[in-house]
Amino acid sequence: MIASLAWKNIWRNKKRSLIIILATALGLWGCLLAGAIWMGWGESMVDTAIDRDLSNIQIHKKGYTQNNEIVNFIPNGFRILKETQSIAGVKAVSGRTLVEAMAASPTSTFGVKIVGIIPAQAKKVTDIYNRLIEGNYFTGNGRNPIVIGKKLATRLGLKLHSKIVLSFQGLDGSLNYAAFRIVGIYKTESSLFDQSNVFMQQADLFRLLSSKPIIHEIAIRTESARIMPQVYDVLKPKYSHLAVQTWEELAPEVAFTSAAMESFTYIFLGIILFALLFGITNTMLMAVMERVRELGVLIAVGMKKGKIFAMILLETILLSITGGIAGIVIGGLSIAYFSHTGIDLSALASSMETFGASTLLHPFLPLDMYIALTVMIVITASISAVLPAWKAVHIQPSAAIRTY
Amino acid sequence: MPLIELKNLSKTYNTTAFPVHAVNNVNLKIEKKEFTAIVGPSGSGKTTLLNLIGGLDKPTGGSVFVEDRDIATLKSNELIDFRLHHIGFVFQAYNLIPVFTAKENVEFIMLLQGISKTERDKKAIELLNAVGLGERIDSRPSQLSGGQQQRVAVARALASRPNFVLADEPTANLDSHTAESLLDLMEQLNKDYEMTFVFSTHDPRVIKRAHRVVTLEDGAIKFDVGGKN
Repeated sequence: MIASLAWKNIWRNKKRSLIIILATALGLWGCLLAGAIWMGWGESMVDTAIDRDLSNIQIHKKGYTQNNEIVNFIPNGFRILKETQSIAGVKAVSGRTLVEAMAASPTSTFGVKIVGIIPAQAKKVTDIYNRLIEGNYFTGNGRNPIVIGKKLATRLGLKLHSKIVLSFQGLDGSLNYAAFRIVGIYKTESSLFDQSNVFMQQADLFRLLSSKPIIHEIAIRTESARIMPQVYDVLKPKYSHLAVQTWEELAPEVAFTSAAMESFTYIFLGIILFALLFGITNTMLMAVMERVRELGVLIAVGMKKGKIFAMILLETILLSITGGIAGIVIGGLSIAYFSHTGIDLSALASSMETFGASTLLHPFLPLDMYIALTVMIVITASISAVLPAWKAVHIQPSAAIRTY
Repeated sequence: MPLIELKNLSKTYNTTAFPVHAVNNVNLKIEKKEFTAIVGPSGSGKTTLLNLIGGLDKPTGGSVFVEDRDIATLKSNELIDFRLHHIGFVFQAYNLIPVFTAKENVEFIMLLQGISKTERDKKAIELLNAVGLGERIDSRPSQLSGGQQQRVAVARALASRPNFVLADEPTANLDSHTAESLLDLMEQLNKDYEMTFVFSTHDPRVIKRAHRVVTLEDGAIKFDVGGKN
């Protein structure tokens, strides 16, 4: 009955209550949508980085990330590659031979990384083949085919079928030169990646290096992101002599940015709720001051101060939660809509590429954030209620009854 | 043992340049089943005296005994609890909860006492029938006339099964016909339920109906007519 009284009291001044409910709903709606866009952005950076080249887990020779010379290949790399394929939770693996090189065209030169792959294997781990804007992904029969990024092509003034000359060090320290024919040009969300990674077939690379088959990197794709830690826990002790790293360890900046987006959302939510706190307090103070006589009567007839306090607290929470739920529903629906259609940020494509995020953002907000938000609203309402409730319990009934 | 006993009761306000003795050394005994009017001109201390008897104000001197218990010594929450279980209040401006129906207004006091829903329902309907509002149990105060609202207030005052009812100028806002009707009701309840009524008034019609009339002047008792003492 006290809850019913509290609820009825909210609607005694419909206009005032609706204003605060609307303010809460709109504030949270804007905040949730902005948060979902940030989260979607963070997720996009992670997804595209994983799909582009990181994969879920990578194995290198220890120290390779500090010293990526050609001689630092994985000992018995192909045997390990084969073993990893059969580990539970592993969806696909790809062995990569990595060589630092200088790419030259008739007009310019640029430092690149040659990624030697077996195209059929690589297709299951990364989606570069899907990012081709011209040409093909090693389906032709030409000699020394190469797939390069659009940014590199622009930088070197090259087109599809143009020749590109690469110079790189061999295993014995000798300098090798070779001309390659561009069979495909790809474009990903990261212009930085596009200008510095060229793909060629491992067989061609081994032939040019006059070397036995070697790999420097094993990229592992797990069946789902959720299962990655379990696969990692199997691989880490099994190949303790190698560096087994998750994408988070390999690209901490991407992991940090993604985590930071969640933190920003919480901070933004906190600021919105902090501002709302004053509005709610003011509304409830007005509600209490308008009802001094009635509250005095309730105290006079025997309503204990604890119950008066609880009633005002409940009114405040109900008022805030009504606005909060409205905001969560509108926000949730907007997020669901934009998550389905995506938000096209191609107008900001160049900035987005710098961050390595897709220009078509799919905002999303995890369920736990909605739960946390509900808790945050209740806490805000409780804090907002303290001053009005304190005023209410300190009403002197004898004086209040004679207030008109 | 008297139901209410005031011993050397005083209330002095020190809020102005000089102290105001609103109630000045009052000694009074009220027995069970009495139908007592506290009368006097405006500012004579009627309301203050009622507030002191009802534990809504603390005396600056003397004691208020209700069934031999000095309520002036009770702490704030004990006093609220005491009021809830021992005293019924009827106010000049009715002071019903506007968002509640007549029945809910009567029920609310019993809810505070922790009475079950079934019993609350039964008792609220019974009391509203007793005050002649059995047909209006679902009406809100704004849908009732002043006299009807005051009847709901009387039913509310009786809902807690109090030892006595304090009514502060209960007919002040009512026309003469409604006032008479309310007094009939209170008198009937006094007779049927043996309920003690103490009310303040300066309405001659009410004074005529009281069984005992205590006249106050400048906070002190000037006359006490019709009582058992």
